[in-house]
This record gives sequence, structure tokens and C-alpha cells, in this order.
Amino acid sequence: MPPETQGQPTTATEGDDKNFVQRWASGSISNPERTYRILFYIVAISFLVTTLFPFYWLTVVALTPQGDLTNVGLLPNGFNPSAFVEVFTTVPFHIYMLNSLIVGLLTTALVLLLASLAGYAFGRFEFPGRTPLMLIFLAISYFPPAAFLLPLFELFTANITFFTLPGGTEVASPMLFNGPGALVLPYSALFLPLSIFILTTFYSQIPDGLEDAARVEGNTRLGALFKIIMPLSAPGVATAGVLTFIAVYNEYFFAFLMTDGRVQNWGTIVWGLLSYQGRFQTSYNLMAAASLVGVIPIAILVVIAQEKIVSGLTAGGLKE
Amino acid sequence: MAAETGSGRSLSLSSPGRWIESLSDTQFAYLLLTPCLVLFGVIAFWPLLRTFEMSLHADLLYGAERIGPFVGFENYVELLTGERNAALPRPFFDSTQIFTSALTVTIIFTVVSVFFETVLGFGQALILNQEFRGRRWARVAIILPWAVPIVIQGMIFFLLFQPTIGFLVEPLQQLGVFSSTPQANSVESLVIVIVADVWKTSAFMALIILAGLQSIDRSLYDVADVAGASKFERFRTITLPLVLSSVLVAMLFRTIGAMRVFGLIETVSSCSTVPSLSCLVVQAFSSSRYASAATVAFVTAAIIGLVVSVYIVKFADVQGAGGF
Repeated sequence: MPPETQGQPTTATEGDDKNFVQRWASGSISNPERTYRILFYIVAISFLVTTLFPFYWLTVVALTPQGDLTNVGLLPNGFNPSAFVEVFTTVPFHIYMLNSLIVGLLTTALVLLLASLAGYAFGRFEFPGRTPLMLIFLAISYFPPAAFLLPLFELFTANITFFTLPGGTEVASPMLFNGPGALVLPYSALFLPLSIFILTTFYSQIPDGLEDAARVEGNTRLGALFKIIMPLSAPGVATAGVLTFIAVYNEYFFAFLMTDGRVQNWGTIVWGLLSYQGRFQTSYNLMAAASLVGVIPIAILVVIAQEKIVSGLTAGGLKE
Repeated sequence: MAAETGSGRSLSLSSPGRWIESLSDTQFAYLLLTPCLVLFGVIAFWPLLRTFEMSLHADLLYGAERIGPFVGFENYVELLTGERNAALPRPFFDSTQIFTSALTVTIIFTVVSVFFETVLGFGQALILNQEFRGRRWARVAIILPWAVPIVIQGMIFFLLFQPTIGFLVEPLQQLGVFSSTPQANSVESLVIVIVADVWKTSAFMALIILAGLQSIDRSLYDVADVAGASKFERFRTITLPLVLSSVLVAMLFRTIGAMRVFGLIETVSSCSTVPSLSCLVVQAFSSSRYASAATVAFVTAAIIGLVVSVYIVKFADVQGAGGF
């Protein structure tokens, strides 16, 4: 660091007979570290501006009164914070958000339960069929959601007798369309593989000795799993949970197609936001305000759990 | 308290508990996997098989049944030769209309967006790999777009390029880049969708590449400094080769994601303006052409499978050549 702070006064004092560009050029030749530093800050700031600008601009549009929405510039045309109240009165956006949050939490709970059991099996045991099974599970996440859509739609609209019991009785699929199950089940299947891989990594890192000690102390197999191993893998469980929740809150395809979009039929934020686009043709300020409101839960989660997100994504990404 | 409930459970569950204790490791592992296998069986494997079966039948537009008689691979042949194009809302592939055929739109979207995401993600990763004040908040700012729901991402870019309110359309129009209604023009909408995707998912690339950067042994850089290497030489001879496998993994994941694009298009523009492969499935599905929809879905899955295997071969090359 010292060379950097020394560089600045020298370039400033010799400045009179040279123009700015020459000064900058001679300074950067004599002190390349400083040039790198300046370039670094320019690039860093431009990345921050491009990622954050859309949020700023949403705020500008949201605050502009509806009548003044033609050619919004970089500052709002007027100041109308009541758009953030209208968002909830024109469309029950809070309920759409609540639906999204509930579907997200239910999916996360189911995924964590199933992924803990599967991750434990993959992480702690060497058994025939282990590697092929892991590859098959992984392959599921490669398929486009569209490849599951048609049969799942038939299944969830009670159009299929998909099991015949040994007695010969046919069991029709339950009517799940327009309910939380029609979203939670496909999401669980789609996002389970990532959680299984994160938890497999965590479980495999727990030393064997701990489990043996727990068994010697008289714990059963399941007792050792739930009392000793699971608490130790809590960071992994938290990581998998955060990633699953974000993925569900993000999802569009099934959220769009597995409900009719009405709020009482478990329409999620996808339908909440689209309803401003359809029914209220000119309510651009409300779309912007609703978008900002919809981002809040996820922004809080990112700020709180950023370490978990980074470790989870990199573990999931580098596993294969 | 804990001991009490523990002993209570082992009493009440004594016979299943003993049964579990008597299992071999393999049997116990499969017992733990059973719930996953059931879920995957019903929600993933069965639908895939059923989709494949549907794709072997004819479309049936009227009547109680959803699909017509068994026709073998006729749907696939007609789809790939272009005979099915007229029956679909948008052609699967038509060399005279590249920007409105599903296959070419999806490929253009994937190649262009993954290219820019890799370049920008690499840049962001290099920034986040430095020590500076406020790095924690810079990381939050870079991750945030990745976590934003697709529908909100779409809404942002719908509003940014909405001619009446967005401040971007008019200057771009004066420069001759865009028409006055970019959201109704296939080429321009595709550009907007690509920009939106790059905005959101460069961060994902950045995080995976960052993990690769942080796993590089610092002492290699000290050696390079002693040898008198410049910053650029250090980057070219140490950073780039060692981080290449993380870059490929990140590109693989993004490619798979990009080839499924649907919601972003539906929000920013519409599926008939920018028809991706997933759009085509949904459109055929909504017009009751279930067998055609199933065929397109399976062809999409096959194309993704092909791309994945190309990456895996390439990845094996890099790993082998690097000697790590």
C-alpha cells in the first residue's frame, strides 16, 4: 500500500506544465500498481451500477404518479408513494406473496427431509448401485420442465388412474390442480437433486468415529442419525434449505401452468404480477412497485445468508 | 427430557426399531432412499416415460381421448424434417425464418447469453477475488439479481423497454438500433431477453468461477513474481488454465438453464414473438396437440442431453491435460 499513497503527491506537484492526460500517463508508467487499482475500481463500480440500476429505476417508475408516466427519466416525475399501498388494494398482492412463501416453505421442508435421508445414505454408505443411482438422480435436473408437464397436468387434474391395487381396485389420481400440492410435488422433484448433492458432501465429511461412539453408547441407527449426525450437518441443511427456497420463489414454469392464477387457487407472485399486466393496462407504476415489494423477502434472505448461498452453489457446482 | 422422550420412543417403536437394526448396510441405505425413489418415480420417471409414450401417438384434436392411435416415430420424423411446422403455432426449424423458429431461437439465445454471461461472470469473479473495503456488500449486490424471481426480472425489462415509459427505446430508435415497438419485433425482443438473462445470471457464473479462483495455490503467484511475470502473464499462465474447469462447469449449468427458457420470454414479450423450445411445448399443449407437444419436449431433452455430453467430453479433456 505505501507506494500508492506516495505516488499521488508527486504527480500532483509536477502538474503545472503538463495537461491531465500526460500527468496521468507518466504517473501510471512510474507506478503501474496505482493504474491497476484505478482500473479495478472503475470496473467494480460499473458492475455494481449495472446490477443495481434496474432496482433504482423500478423505484423511479413506482414513485411517478400514473398520469406522468410518459418518458420517465432518471428521476421520478413527481412523488407518489401511495403506489405502494395501491399495489395491495387493486390486486391482493400480499396474498399472492403469501402463497409463494407457503409453497416455498412446504417445498423446502419436504426437500430437506428427503434429501437428509438420501444424503445420509449416499454420504455414509458404500452400497451396490450407489453411483448409478446418484447419476440418475442428477440426470433428473437436466430434463426441461416441459418434459414433465403433460403427464403431471393429467395426473394433477385427476384424469389418470395411475395405480391398480392388488385387489383390482383402480385408484384415480387426486385433484391437486389449483392446490399447493400441484406446485410442491414437481418443485420437490426438480430441486431435490441439488440438495441431495450438497448434503451428501456434508455427511461424507463427518468422521466415522462420532457415529461409532454414538452407537456404542446405545443409540439405535435412527437415533444416531437424528441425534448425532443431523445436528452436525446443520450448516449443510441450512445451505440446501436457502437454495431450495430461492429456487422455488424464482420458479415460473409450473407456477404459471399448474394453477389457473386466481389468488384463492394458490396463484403465486408470477400470477400476481401478471395480473397488473393484463387487467390494468396502464398501471406501470403498480407493476414497478409490486416488483420491488416482491423482491424484499428474497433480498433479506440474500443479505442474511450470502455465505450459505456461495458455499452451496459452489459445492453443488463443483461436485460433479 | 431428551433422554425421556428417547427411551419412550425406543419402547413404542421397539419392533420396527429392532427391524431396522437387523438390516444390512445396503438394505438400510435403500430404506433411507425409499422416500426419494417414490417421489422421483411418480413425479419424474413416470412422467418422462408417459411423455415419451405420448410422443409415439398421433395428435387428436377432437373427442374424449387426448391422443390418437400409435404411430411410432412419425411425429419425430415429421418434426425434424419440417413437415410438422404448419401444424404448430411456430415452426420447429425453418431456415427462411430463423428468428421465429423454436430451434434456432433457442440456440441463438443460449449461445449469445452464455457467452456474455461467461465473460461478465469471469470479470465479476476477478473483482470479488480481490481484497477491498465493502467486499461483503459488493458480493450481495452481485448475487441479488440471481435471486430475483424470473417474473420480476421479466417485469423489469418489460418496463425498461416499454416504448411509452422506458427511456431506452427512444434513443435506441434514433440510433437506428430498435424500432418503435421492440416488444413486438422478434429480433429486438430476442435481444432484450438476452440482455435480461445476462443481467440476472452472470452472478451465478461469477460465484462458481470465484470458487475456482480461490482454490488456486497462492504460492504459484509468488513463483511467477520471482520470475518477473507481469500481471497479464500471471493471468494467462496460472489463473486461466487452473480455473478453466470451473468455467466449463458454470457454462454447462447455464447452458442447461438457457435451453429451457420460458418465463422470461412470456413476461418481457410473448411466446409467439420469441418462440423458444419450451414455448413451443406449452403452445402446442394449449392448442390440444398433446402428442406434438410431447415430441417437442422429448426432442428438447435430447438436445440438452447432447449438449451435456459434449461438455462432459470437453471437461474430461481439460482435466486430463491439466494433470490434476
